[in-house]
This record gives sequence, C-alpha cells and structure tokens, in this order.
Amino acid sequence: MLSAMMRIATPILLAALGELITERAGILNLGVEGIILTGAFFGFFVVYRTGSIPLALLAAVLAGGLMSLIMVFMAATLKVDQVVTGLALNLLASGITFYWYRVAFNSIGATPTIEVMKIAKIPLLAEIPILGEVLFSQHLLTYFAIIMVPMIWFFINKTKYGLEIRCLGENPRAIDIKGINVTRLQYLAVAFGGMMGGLGGAFLTVVSAGIFLPDMSAGRGWLAIVVVIAGNWQPLRIILATLAFSFFDAFQLQAQSLGVEFPYQILLALPYILAIILLTTSRSKSEAPGHLGLPYNRD
Amino acid sequence: MEKSKPLLRTLKLTKRFGEVIANHEVSFEINPGEIHCFLGENGAGKTTLAECLYGYYYPDEGEIYFNEERVNINSPSDAIRLGIGMVHQHFILVRPLSVIENIVVGTDAARMFLNLSKATRRLEQLCAEYDVSLDLSAKIWQLSVGEQQWVEILKVLFGGVKLLILDEPTAVLTPQEAKKLFVILRKMKQGGLSILFITHKLNEVIEVSDRVTVLRRGEKVATVNTSDVTRADLARMMVGRDVVFRVNKPEVEVGGPVLEVKKVCARNDRGQEALCNVSLNVKAGEVVGIAGVSGNGQKELFESIIGIRSIDSGEILLSGTEITKQSAQSIASQGMGHIPEDRLKEGLVPDFSVAENLILGLHKHRFFKYGGGSLDTKEVESFADKCIKDFEIITPSSRQPTRNLSGGNIQKVVIARELSEHPICLVANQPTRGLDVGAIEYVHNRLLMQCEKGTGILIFSDDLDEIINLADRILVIFKGSIVGKLDPSTASREEIGLLMAGSLEVEL
Amino acid sequence: MIEVLGLRFEKREHSNRLWQASMTLLAIIVALLISGVLIISAGPNVGKAFAGLYAGAFGSWKAILETLVKATPLILTGLAVTIAFRGKIMNIGAEGQFFAGAITGYWASTNFAWMHPVLHFFVIILSGFIGGAVCGLIPGLLKGLLKVDETIVTVMMNYVVQFILSFLLSGIWQAPGEFYYISSPVPESVYYPVLFQNSRLHVGFIIAIVATIVIFWLLQKTRLGYEIRTIGLNPTAAKFKGINVSQVIIITMLISGGIAGLAGVGEVVGLHHRLRMDISSGYGFTGIIIAMLGGLNPFAVIVAAIFMGGLINGSNRMQIFSNVPTALVYAMQAIVLICLLTFQVLANYRIRRVKVVD
Repeated sequence: MLSAMMRIATPILLAALGELITERAGILNLGVEGIILTGAFFGFFVVYRTGSIPLALLAAVLAGGLMSLIMVFMAATLKVDQVVTGLALNLLASGITFYWYRVAFNSIGATPTIEVMKIAKIPLLAEIPILGEVLFSQHLLTYFAIIMVPMIWFFINKTKYGLEIRCLGENPRAIDIKGINVTRLQYLAVAFGGMMGGLGGAFLTVVSAGIFLPDMSAGRGWLAIVVVIAGNWQPLRIILATLAFSFFDAFQLQAQSLGVEFPYQILLALPYILAIILLTTSRSKSEAPGHLGLPYNRD
Repeated sequence: MEKSKPLLRTLKLTKRFGEVIANHEVSFEINPGEIHCFLGENGAGKTTLAECLYGYYYPDEGEIYFNEERVNINSPSDAIRLGIGMVHQHFILVRPLSVIENIVVGTDAARMFLNLSKATRRLEQLCAEYDVSLDLSAKIWQLSVGEQQWVEILKVLFGGVKLLILDEPTAVLTPQEAKKLFVILRKMKQGGLSILFITHKLNEVIEVSDRVTVLRRGEKVATVNTSDVTRADLARMMVGRDVVFRVNKPEVEVGGPVLEVKKVCARNDRGQEALCNVSLNVKAGEVVGIAGVSGNGQKELFESIIGIRSIDSGEILLSGTEITKQSAQSIASQGMGHIPEDRLKEGLVPDFSVAENLILGLHKHRFFKYGGGSLDTKEVESFADKCIKDFEIITPSSRQPTRNLSGGNIQKVVIARELSEHPICLVANQPTRGLDVGAIEYVHNRLLMQCEKGTGILIFSDDLDEIINLADRILVIFKGSIVGKLDPSTASREEIGLLMAGSLEVEL
Repeated sequence: MIEVLGLRFEKREHSNRLWQASMTLLAIIVALLISGVLIISAGPNVGKAFAGLYAGAFGSWKAILETLVKATPLILTGLAVTIAFRGKIMNIGAEGQFFAGAITGYWASTNFAWMHPVLHFFVIILSGFIGGAVCGLIPGLLKGLLKVDETIVTVMMNYVVQFILSFLLSGIWQAPGEFYYISSPVPESVYYPVLFQNSRLHVGFIIAIVATIVIFWLLQKTRLGYEIRTIGLNPTAAKFKGINVSQVIIITMLISGGIAGLAGVGEVVGLHHRLRMDISSGYGFTGIIIAMLGGLNPFAVIVAAIFMGGLINGSNRMQIFSNVPTALVYAMQAIVLICLLTFQVLANYRIRRVKVVD
C-alpha cells in the first residue's frame, strides 16, 4: 500500500513542484489539470507510435510546456484574468486530447494499450525490508520527483534566478526597476511549470495505466494546486502534504478492494476540505507570494 | 572660489502629462560633493523632475548634461549606469526577503549560486563607514521604517553612485531617525557624493543643504545658496506673492457647532500614528480651512470624520450627537456630506451614468419603490435633471457615462450629489485638485452658497489661495497635529507657509 | 501597457460597446476558423463537419428543441456566474452549486408525496435553489466576513459536493439492485412537464427564462443590484458611500449559488429523472464561458447559452456526417473563450508603433 502511495503521489508531486515555481513567479496557473491531461495524452501517443519511452516523456514535457505558454502569454503579455484563462486551458486540453485520441485511434477495435515503463530497482537498497520496496523499487520518474524536491529548494533559495523569481512573485516592481525583464522571467517560470506538469501527466499513461482515458487527470491538477497551498509554498512541506494525501488515497483504495464498507469519500474529500480550512485560518502566516494572480503593469 | 564643473545640469526641462504641465523649462545644476534641495509645495513638480533624472519619465523637451556630456536617460538602468540612484518616498522592497537579498538581486554581485560573502563584506563596510548597524540577514518586514530606508539607500550605494536622489525621505521618519539620516548625508557629501534632497520642510533645507532650488507650479523660482537666505525668504518663494482672485464672501451668521472633533488619535494604513490629539470644531454657516501639505494626516482625519476609518481615541460629534463609532452610512444619513480627494476612485463609479452616480449613497433611502425592489426611474430622472440644471453640469444627458465628462463636470456631479440633501456639515478634501480656473471658481461659489444656507464646511486644501479665499478660520496641520490657528484677514501667506512646512509653532 | 514585437498597446480612454460587441463577433469567427484548422489537420471534411454541426443544432425544429434542452442548464449557470462576476466575485463553484441543488431537489422530489402537485413543484424548485444557495453561502461568508479569497474555495467546494453526492449514491440513495452510482427514479408525478410533444424540452427552460428576467431586473432595477454593480466597478467608492460590502457579497453568493442550484434540480427532475454522478458535463465551468461571451449581460447569456447548446447538440450530427468526434466541441468552447479574452484586450487598447528614442 505504501508503494501505491508513492505511485499515486508522483504525478501530483511533479505538477505541484512545477506549479510552485509558477506561483512563486506570481502567476496562478489553474490550468494544471489540463496540462497534466495533455502530457498524459502525448506520452501515450508517442509510445504507441514509436515505442520509445524517452521520446514519449520528451513529447509530454514539450506539450505541457506549450500549453503553459498559452497561459503565460495571456497572463503576462496580454494581462487578462488568470483564473478564467486557466479554466479555459483545462477545457481546451480536455476537448483537444479527447478529440485527437478519437481521431488517432478511431479505427482500432479494442482499447489501445502500451507497454508501461518498468520499475527500476536500485540494487542492494531494494533488498531492505519494507523500506526497500517503498523507496527503492519505484519508477525512474518517482526517483526524479523525489530528487527534484531538494533541487527545487536549492534553486529557489540558493540561486540567482531563484532569488529573482521570489522577488517577482512578491513585488515585481522591485526587480523591474533594477532592469530585470519581468515578462521574460515569468515566461520561463511558467514554462517550467508546464513541463513538469506534462511530465506528471506522462506518468499516468506511460508508467501507470498503459491506456488513455478521457479526462483521466481526474482532479490531480487541482490536488497539485491544493498541495502547494497546504505546503505553504515550500518544497519540503509540499512533498509531505502530497504523501499525506496520497496515503489516504491509497488507503481507501486498499480498503475498497478488501470490501470494507466505509465512506471512503471522506478521505478523498479531505485534501479539499483541508485546503479551505488552511486558506481561512492561516491567512496571516501564509507565505503565498504577495503578487500572486495579479497582472503587473509598469505604470 | 573656484567654480567646479557641475555634476548634473538640466536645460529647459519640460514634462507634460496630457494637458497638465508638470515641469516647465526648468534649468538647474548640481555640483559634485553638494547637498542640493528641491523645495516646493505639492504639485510644484519636484518629484516629476527627479523621476526624469532617474529615467522613470522621459522629458518632452529640454536637455540633461552629466559631467557636461549630453545624456539620454530612458530607463532606470541608464540612470544607474551613469551613477544616479533614487530612493522613493514609498519604498520598493520585497518584504519577506532579507536585506542582503533585496540589495543583491539584479546586481553583478548575484552570481549563479549566490555566493554572498563578498557582497556581505562590502555592505558591512558601507554600514561601518556610515556608522549604521543593520542585520543583513533580517527580513524587511522585521525592520523599522528608518532601517528600511537605509536598505533603500544601501541599494543605491552598493551599485556605486555619484548622485543620490532622495524623495521626501523624512516623511516617514521620527525626528531622531531624521537627525541620523542627516549625519549620514553629511558623511556622504564629504566622500564626494552629490545629494538631491526633495522636501517641503524648511527646517531641513536650512539644516542640511548647501544650495536649494525652489519650484512652484512647475516653474523654477530660484536657485540660491542656503546660507544666503532666511526661512522667511524661502517660504515666500515657495508660496508666492501672486495677486489672488478674491471671491466675494457674503456675511453669514454663524450658528452653533455642527462638527466637533475632540482629541482624536488615529493611525494610517501602515499602522503608524497619523493623527495625534486633533481637536477642532466647525459651526453652522462657517468655513474652516485646514491648510497643509498633502500627507500630513488630512486623509486620515477626513476618513475618520466621515466614518470609514476607525480611530484609536477621541470623539467626533455631529450636531451634538456622537458619531465616533457609527457607520459611514448612518453618519451620512444624519446630515454629513463629503467631497473626497480622488473623485474617480473614491467618489464615483466612472462607468456609471451621471444619473447613477448622482444617486450613489442617496439610494439607501430614496429612488426605489417596494423596499428596494424597483427603481423609480421617473424620480431618478427628474432628480438627475434637476441636479444637472441647478448645478450647471455640462453633459449631453443624464445617461452619459460619467467618465466622458470633463474633470470639472465630474466634480460638479459629486458636489450636486452631496449638496442636494442640504447637509448639516460638509467635509471637502482637496475639492479643486486638478481642475481648471473656471471649475475652481464654480466650486468655491457653490461652497459659499451652501454656507449661506447654514451648512458648516470643513475644507482640506494644499492650495493656500483657496484657503485664504474661502475660510473664516484657518487651521494648519503638520505631521498629524494642528500646529496653528489663524485669521485669514490678518495672517500672512508667509506665516501660513512656515506653519505648513513645520517651521513655526504658534500658540494655540 | 503591453509591449510585444515592437508594437505598443496603449489603453484607450473609452471603450465603447459597439467596438466590444464587434470584437466578440470577431473572436467567434476566428475561433471557428481555428476549429476548422483542427478539423482539417485530422483529415475529415471541414465543410461537412460544419454543415453537420449546424444541421444538428438548428437544422430542424426537433434539433432546435433539443438545442434548447442543452441550453437550459447553461442559461442558469451562465446567470449564476454573471451575477457573481458583476460584483467582481470569482464564483468558480457553479459546478458544485449545481450538484448541491440537484441533491436537495432530488430529496424534495422523493419526499412530500402528500403535497398537491403544484405546491410540490414549487417546493422542489425552491429546495434546488436552497441547496445551491447553501453551497454558495460558505465561500460567500468566508469572503464577506473573513476576506478569504473565493477563487480556490469555490473550486474546492465543487469537489466536496461531488464527494457528498458519491457518498449518497453509493449508500442511502443507491437504487436497489444497481451497481452504478445512480438513484431510484424520481416519481413520474413530479417530472417537469414537457413543453412540446416528442421532444425533451421541459419546463426548466421556462424557469431559465424567468430566472433571466429576474436576474436582469435584480441587477438593473433593484437597490441590491445597484449595490452589486457598484462594488463590482468601484469597491472603494462603494465603501465611501456607505454600502455594506460584506453583506452584499454574502447575498450575491447566495443568489448565485441558488441559480446554479436551479440548473441542477432541473437536470434531475426535468431530464434524467434520476440523480446520477454524470448529470453535468462541466456545466458550471461552461457557465463561466457563457457569462464572458454574454458580456455579463443576462439576456446575452441566453444567446450565448443557445450557441453553446447548439454546439453540444450539433456535435452528434457532425460526428455522423463527417466522422469528427463530438469531443471537438469542448475544445471549440475553450478556443472561443481564449479568442474572446484576447480580442477583448485588443478592444481596450490602441496599437502604436514604439518610437525608438535615440
């Protein structure tokens, strides 16, 4: 079950880390759901057509990045409402992926499947009882997601671009008057977020399910957003929150499969209820970027 | 004395914003190693001129010479490259981040992996040089206002600077912090730095500057050596000796007090003290004018009286009834009218029609039938038409979107609305700001007409002419306190100017 | 001010309504063009696709009626979003409020059997409204009293309500013998009456029209509507002139949620006649697109809803005629919205070449 938890957590964590950078740069990208879906589709499609998993992951990353470019163009260049744009992006992804899926696989009778990526066991460490199975017998993408946590932390807090992004999300004017190109920085940050989201989506098809279903992102994008809030915009807390929610998800799946009768919906609803509570109670301690969601105008 | 080459010189610099001329052919110069002050009232053009030097604005006409070379300053980066740095009145800092992060971001010192040891050393050196102690790892929100200002100055010093521009730096400082700042500035001057210090406070000019350029209404009045002039001279230059258009003020019988403000203390939006034991009263039929440079507590006092700002202590009474804790709506319904400072942001909804704006506030108890269920268009239209006629609002119809009207007519809409219910007391905050002469005349006439009807008027204005014209009694506000009470028929402009600039304490 | 590729976009002082309306039209045309490109890229015949789309949407009396069926919940969710957006309240929770109304409406329809049919009918409608209103009340209170941003809260509520529905449909309301999450049918006596024989168009459509008139009246002719509009356009002036902003926000969310709830109960009692997990195909989110397309004007919302309903309805015919999958229309909806947002920006701006200062 803990293994399942890691598998459930991976796509959410990837998307959440991407969204973290996007939001630290001041842009609220609600289109994560759509970006994950896009990544899932393109990952699936490329594996089906070429059989190459690395190529598929690359395609998913690029697709996610492209979707997010629409977002940042609308938000940073045209400076339109970010919330509505993000929702439009979700709808766009939902419709387009479903459309292309039908078009591409219309003629095929049975549900198209692909061979999923295999688990990459780390030699020696995988032999450790319990921990070995949970932590060291996972897929490459999961290891990648875990490694990204300290890397993102390092990036944000200890590098030049991380510093600029932090300033951008809090007070864009402060770096604008130092001559830093605010718009360019936002493009880079959002594109990164999109690429991570695309990768997370690819995990769903290329690693997990092996098939593509319409709207298979199933709220994971929103969970990624919730997890960023729950983690108070810090990478370490984000992974903790992700694992916590994934644990409950894995738990209720296990319970269901064992035929235990209990209102599993409560566990599924937990992250969302928690998000509302957090937004209400920790407004003063929230480390949400001060300029999040607001368009920046020089005059 | 040997004449040294000026560090920076402007020649006939002009800057316009649409029809408003902010700076008109201003020529002045700053020498190296000099503390130079820009002195003037609000709207004199001091900040605009400085922003042109910093690259925030681009002048429409005129030339700038740096070290006698013609330069074009198109952006702050250009200014920084030349060695010009500016500390704004409202700080531009990233609050959750540390001092050193704020200073270092965007500079060459910020290498890829943020090795800040070199920068830390340099900053510690600078702090030691000016005898300031500051924890470089402290977050901005943890610092006092004075310390935050030092961070802004450090930002400029860190990049290496030849000319430091400070915009009203003491506006947010305590007297002790201000004194400390002056010590620092003198040290900088000894080190060869030039400082351009923008202020409206005469005491500071006298205390710290070598030379001063006085600006008034966009024009340069004079540049003088500080040692050659007195406070009175400066005040005179600042407020001018124009022949003033005097409105015929009718004799009105003054009644009992309609507004009483008793020992009110209040804070501003930043949580700092903005009003300190302010007391005043306004009687029926009289005009009380509060003179002062914008930013000395007028906004907070205005908002406290009309009920949208809560006060820390004191009382406010309207016709003898205490209104201190009441809502804005209930205060308005008891006969308080107001004309806000920013008519487009605080007084109206620009996208609404003239008629819709005329009923704003009044809609609470009029213009709707069936308890708010149905708009009585007839009543609204006839009311709007009456207002348009009575108050001479120039508009094609009452359905016209209000933002299409001229500034003066927009103000007429506000005035029409506030006066139509015959308020007991009317509070006006800078009612003629941004208006042309004709509109100003209109506003003054209407206010005086309302006086005759028995309304007590309290008017805040940074325009001395206006105060002298209209007021029966003059109060002067400075840094949240009433520092003077004067009779307009006997007070001199000089005296009022000195009080406004914090330079005089009159027996109250 | 926006600068891109050497062109500077400066804000116009006044943006007139004619210019904005023509920009909306331009956006729709461009969106259709882009959709056409999408279709071509996949192979099928564009002409046949659009022909099928149109025929399926408006090509016959039967088609039109079915389009109106699809439009009915969209009008209501569009209205719900419209009234909230007019007050600058970002109600992204119309989806959850829809389901909340469906839940309470279903409950009312299966109880109160002893009531007179007409009374029962109104009680059902009222409970649908109340369900949605309560769902909208929570973010409304949080925003009005505690200044909590409503954007994320309303989205979270969407999920919470859907989980509540799932819980009910897998437990106490699950139809006996059913494997899926679906309820027992609603008693036939409470079905919304059908308006025309041989069609599915039910009285919910009339309710939607009535709601439009009510919301229009509310916004333009009542004191509350006046205050909502004031807050939406200039909350500072509203505060200065004594409007109780918190109170108005709470009431607005109540109404907005309630209207979305009416959409929910309509789909349960008027169309599906049962409570199921899939009674909404994202109507709450589509409502946002419709509100934006309609320029936040209630009557324009009807037009926009019929347009969208036509797209959804016509997509079946399009698929039959030209093999273009029905899913395309959802992408088309999104493209319309994105084009709309883009062109609206252009409507507000004037383009100037950047003068290079030397």
